[in-house]
Order: sequence, then structure tokens, then C-alpha cells
Amino acid sequence: MSDNDSRSRLTPSVEPDVTPGTDEFEKRLAAEQQSVDRTIRIATPFISVAIAMLIGSVFMLLAGKSPVDAYSAMFQGAFGSQRAIGETLLRATPLTFAGLAVAYGFRAGLFNIGAEGQLFMGGLAAAFVGVQLAGYPMGVSLPLILIAGAIAGAAWAFVPALLKARIGAHEVITTMMFTYIARYIVSWLVTGPLRAPGFVPQTVELPLTSRLPKLNEILPFLQPTRAHAGFLIAVACAFVVWFILRYTTMGYEARAVGFNQMAAQGGGISVASTTIKSLCFSGALAGLAGCAEVMGVHYRLFDQFSSGLGFTGIAVALLAKNNPFGVIAAAILFGAMSAGAGTMQLEADVSQKVVYILQAVIIFLIAAETIVTWTVQRFRRRKEVSPLAA
Amino acid sequence: MLREILTPELFASAVRLATPIAITAAGAAICERSGVVNIALEGLMLVASFAAVATTLLTGNVWLGVAAAVLAATTFAALHAWASINLRSDQVVSGTAINLLALGVTGFLMETMFGHPGSTDSVQTIPPVFDFPHGGPGILGTIWTWIDVVFLSYTPLVYVGMFLAVFLTWAMYRTRWGLRLRALGEHPRAADTVGVSVLGGRWVAVLISGAMAGLAGANLTLEQVGTFTENMTNGRGFIALAANIFGRWVPGGAYLASLLFGFADALQFKLQLFSDVIKIPPQFFLMLPYLLTVIVLAGVMGRAVGPAAVGKPYKEKG
Repeated sequence: MSDNDSRSRLTPSVEPDVTPGTDEFEKRLAAEQQSVDRTIRIATPFISVAIAMLIGSVFMLLAGKSPVDAYSAMFQGAFGSQRAIGETLLRATPLTFAGLAVAYGFRAGLFNIGAEGQLFMGGLAAAFVGVQLAGYPMGVSLPLILIAGAIAGAAWAFVPALLKARIGAHEVITTMMFTYIARYIVSWLVTGPLRAPGFVPQTVELPLTSRLPKLNEILPFLQPTRAHAGFLIAVACAFVVWFILRYTTMGYEARAVGFNQMAAQGGGISVASTTIKSLCFSGALAGLAGCAEVMGVHYRLFDQFSSGLGFTGIAVALLAKNNPFGVIAAAILFGAMSAGAGTMQLEADVSQKVVYILQAVIIFLIAAETIVTWTVQRFRRRKEVSPLAA
Repeated sequence: MLREILTPELFASAVRLATPIAITAAGAAICERSGVVNIALEGLMLVASFAAVATTLLTGNVWLGVAAAVLAATTFAALHAWASINLRSDQVVSGTAINLLALGVTGFLMETMFGHPGSTDSVQTIPPVFDFPHGGPGILGTIWTWIDVVFLSYTPLVYVGMFLAVFLTWAMYRTRWGLRLRALGEHPRAADTVGVSVLGGRWVAVLISGAMAGLAGANLTLEQVGTFTENMTNGRGFIALAANIFGRWVPGGAYLASLLFGFADALQFKLQLFSDVIKIPPQFFLMLPYLLTVIVLAGVMGRAVGPAAVGKPYKEKG
């Protein structure tokens, strides 16, 4: 037995002396399959991004543009200088929050497609509370505004969460509808009750004490860029989400319900209350995204202040496979695409809309993981006639 | 004032505004009954809208525009079918990807073909089928005006949509195809056991829902708006999904449920005309259809139970 073990560790592939059909064979086969699966699972996001860029090139070629020029311009615009990197981080900030929001929902088996709406409400709370807290020291006002933004986001997710838990109304439709409602509420407030004097419908500018400092104000060795402390908060949030999922009862229950509702229920976990808690927590994270945009970038609220950051958060979460740290990396990638898109349009004359196509293809391939798995296995089968391919 | 609001034109505009949602919702019913969730309807309608306007602008023929809309939406639906049926992807995620793809592809083609973002040039919209004179004064004249406006004032695709809703309802309950379709969504294993092709049946259903979303896009652009604007579907695909639930997964029911949303929309337009009398900001009226969707889903009409196997990928044995 021990002899067998050591041998299998040295040579993991199925050896001819193990008779097919026996338990031993099946066991080894399963082990090998698992390691293949694992490799593929880790490789999928990278392969997906590569395929997406290929498909993006097809569109560029069809439009008569050079993909090489386009992608290199995009790269320059995203990483070419400290300024460009700052722009990338600036855009990665709300995407990290939104990605964490969607990822947490997915872990609990919930698809928070309406993170955008919660983001709007977080932004609204920041714009409102931020002005009220004028005159307080930053140590007081900044945490309070962030908390207000998180609460606003959670509150906006509460009704869909309740409907899901009590009636089974699908959160994809309800949170989506709440997104439209949130947009109209913000539109009404910035044109009406909260409108600042002037021609543009927008709220009053936040006082200096309610603004997130720039990254170079905290880390003086950096050149001044538009990137702000929100990015650090977002990274900290990724750690918090990771900790919650891994070490707390709340996270455990969320994962249990997301994994198998029936089993969780049988194990004594309340599916209804876990659903409500998880979607509200997801909403809070999305609220922080809007909050950070107002406190760190715009300093005020206006109509359409987010053009789909919450939706891009879905792509971020999927690419990250719902891993909190993966979310940071995926958010930086999408932030880079968004930061580089302008340069790409300017220098290579390719429509910025290509970025949507790239994101869509990435989501599609991650969802259809089997495309990648199948391709890899097909490739392996050609190399060696292995029982794995069956 | 109520007399000024509750005119026959209000009901006619309710039907008109409901039509893109209603046609899509009837298709959604077919798709979900087969066991496939189609969140992509929003994107399918958007792609169809672009194809309709672009083709009409290029060829000068609206009917080619309608055909292109149906073709484009069905092609994108095939992508969803392939991912969710053959590759067994998460159907909601695949749908989300297609929605984003639709946004990107239409925006990209728009800028590439027309040189600018925003809206395309406008096309000549399809005129109503009939053109009867309104009734004169008196009771009979008023009755005729109501009949004329509420039933006989529409463009061709509105009638096509009504016919399809009735036809698909009949097909779902009175044909062998319909029985099999319902079996696919309730108990695919049982259907498979008696020799019904689960994958094939689901493919057909998804393609039908795509074609319907295509007609809806054509109706929206070629019979109503006359131009394509980026992201112009504005949540109609999602509202159609809600209407489908409200209509209990029956094409005809989904169609009727959509009329409610159309009415909310029509009322919203109408009430904006009275903004000096009714002091309510326009945004609240614009919210109405979305708010109504939530209220409907909140189960005002009781808990809705969908097909048992909806959203679950099926793996054929063998």
C-alpha cells in the first residue's frame, strides 16, 4: 500500500499496470482529473482575457483599424506614466467596491445585478451627509460619510432582499428595477430639492473636510495624480470581505446558503435571514462605491454620475471568480481598460465601446467555462490518447 | 380633468407603448417554459433595434429592416442557447454577458457606421394599417371613435404581436409541441425518457424568444421612435421578464400583463402634460413602470410559481 502511494506521488499519471475498471484506477483517474480541473480553473480568467482581446481585434479589423495600435495606445493610457497609473487606480476604486459587492452576493447564491442602484444611493448619501458635516474634523466626517454611504446602499438592497426571502421574487428583476428608480430619484433631487445655485443641475460641492485625500497626499513620494485614498479603503474592504467569508458565522452561513440551500436549511441556518443579510451587505459595499466616487472624484452629485460602474462590477466579480483579492486584480484590469480607452480612441481612432465588447466576452467565457476546459482537453487528447478525454 | 386624461388616445398609446414589452414577454414565456431563463432579452431587443434602423437606413426598405431585426436578435439568442443549453453555463450570467455585448456591439457599430455616438438619423416610420375617419358627434359617433382609436389605429407589427400572443398560447396548450415544451421546463428527465429531445426543444424555445424580441425591437424603432439611440431599450427587456411572471408563464397572460406597464407609461406621458395642475416632478412619473414591476413581483396577486426546472442546465445521458 505504502509502495503504491509513493509511486503515485512520483508519477501522478495513470500507469499501465493499474487495470482499468478497478477502484484504484478510478481513484487515480479522479485525482488526475482534479489536478487538471484545478489548473484549468486558475487559467480560465487569463485565457478568457486573451480570447476577449482577440475577438476585440476582429471588431477593430472590421472597422479598418489596427488592433496593435489600439491595444498599445490603451496600455500607454493605462500604465504609461504615473499619471496614467493614477487614472487606472482611480477607475479601479469604485470597481473594486462594486466587484466585492457582486462577489459577496454570488457567494451567497444571489445575483446583485442592481449594484448600480445601490451605488447611486451611496453617492446620494455622501453628497448629502458630506455637506451636513461641514466644519467637523476629517477624522470624524470621513468615517461618518462612509458609514452613511454603506447604510444607504444596504437600505436600497433591503426591499429586494426582503422580497426574495419572503416571496421568492427574483433579485435580478427587483434590484434592476430599483436601479432605474434610484436613477430617477437622484435625477429628481439634483434638479430639484438638492440643486445648487447655477446652470448645471448638481448638488453643492463637498467641503474640503468631507473629501478623501489624494494618494500623493498620503504617500508623499508619489507624483500628484487623481487617484485618491478610496483605493486603499477598497483594498482594506477586500480583506474585510475575505475575513468575513472565511472566519465569521455570517460568512459561513452565506457560503452555506450559496452552496446548497436545502443542506443549509437542514443544518439549521435560516435561509431567509441569510439572504437578507447577504444582499444588504452586498448593497453596503456597492453603496461605498458611489460614496467613494463622490468623496474622491466628483465632490458632488449630478445626474448620471455613474455610467454603469455597478454593472462593470459584475464583470469584475466573475473574472475574479468571486475571490476578494481576485476582485482587486480584476478591478485594476477593468480600470486600466477604462483609463486606456480614451487614449485608444484618440490615438488609434477605435471606439471606446470596444471595452464593453471585451468585458462581455470575458463574462461569457467565464460563464461558459466549459469552452475553455473543452479546448484544453481537446488539445491534450491530441497529444496522448488518455482515458481522461472520455 | 379626468375626462381629459381618460381619452381613447390614452388607451391606444398604452397598447402602443406596451407592444415591445408584450411581444418580448410572450417570447419570454415560451423560453422559460422550456426551462431556460433569458435575461438577455434586453440586449436582444437592443440589437434588433439597431439592426432595424441601420438596415432601413442602408436599404431604404423598412421590411428588410424588420427582417434584419429578427435575424439579429435570433442570432444573439443562438449565442445564449449555445451557452446555456450546450455549454451548461449559468443562464443568468450568460444573459448578462449578452446584454453587455449588445450594448458594446451596437455602440461600436453605431460609431463606426454613422461616425458619431448618440442617435442615428431617423427613418420613415411604418404607418398604421387602417385609416378610418373618426366618428362624428352623438353616442354612436363616440362609440365608433373609441373603437377606431383603441382597436383600429395601430401599425402592422402591433397586430402581428397580438396574433402571435394568441397563437403561441394556443400552441402551448393545444399542440403536441406545447405539451412537450411544458414538460421540458417541469421535468426534463421525464421528457428525455420518453424520447423528447431536451436540448433540441430548448434551442427552439430560445430562438423563438429571440425572434420575438427581434420583432419587439423592430416595433420600437420602425413603428414608434424612428431612430436608434444608444441603450434605448432602457430596461424594457427586464420589465418583459416581470410581465411574464405576472402573466403566469403563458404568452397571452404575459401580453395582457404588459398592457398594465404600457398603461403606466402612457399615463406618465399624459400626466406630464398636466404638470402645471399636478405638482409632481416628472421623475416620479417616469419611475411608474419600474415601481409597478416591483409591486407586481411583490406578489400583490399572490405568489407566482414558475416552471420547476427553469434555470437548471440539463445533461443528456448517454
